[in-house]
Amino acid sequence: MQTVTRGNPTEVKAVLATVALALGAYQLALIAVGYRRLRPSFLGARPATRAHRAVGDAIAALLVLTAFMCLAVFGVDGGLHAAAGAALLAVLAVKVAVVRWIPRAGRLLPPLGLAVFTLLALTWLTSAAGVLGDG
Amino acid sequence: MSRDGWQLLGSLLAAALIAAVAIAVVTARLGPTSVAELDAQEERLRERIERREERQERRRELREQRREAREEARGRR
Repeated sequence: MQTVTRGNPTEVKAVLATVALALGAYQLALIAVGYRRLRPSFLGARPATRAHRAVGDAIAALLVLTAFMCLAVFGVDGGLHAAAGAALLAVLAVKVAVVRWIPRAGRLLPPLGLAVFTLLALTWLTSAAGVLGDG
Repeated sequence: MSRDGWQLLGSLLAAALIAAVAIAVVTARLGPTSVAELDAQEERLRERIERREERQERRRELREQRREAREEARGRR
């Protein structure tokens, strides 16, 4: 991991987590259009929902990679960051399962999505925010 | 391409732009991390310290010369 990140695993993790958080905020806007809570003239509900799905896949990959780096470099410390990160991946897995295999539980998607974003923000605040504050 | 297709493409491009901006902002905040850049930074710091030490040395020599000149002038009187 040190070789791949050229000795900067913490910084690379902070970049990945920040990109995930920024895209997570964009996801909220996209799905608000998808559910027609927002109705911009330049974006319809269907393309917004499809973009939400595609960006969500990218965020999931980023989060799995970041979690893998975190475990490989730092191990499990049992603090708030580790708890928030583990809960984030668990809720994300449930959300993906509902989207792909349990469509009749679709009404759970909005609270699950909000939970994913809240846990992502908490995980970021307990790690990357500190790294960027020191920068 | 259909209208929906263009809108989807635009949404994905916006996501790519958001990711690029986030990377640029965080990288700028963290500063350089490449080994070459860090070496160059260290070299610049070392040169700055050396220049400061040389200036201090020169000032010390000037002070010495002035004191010697004063003492010489006093001895002549």
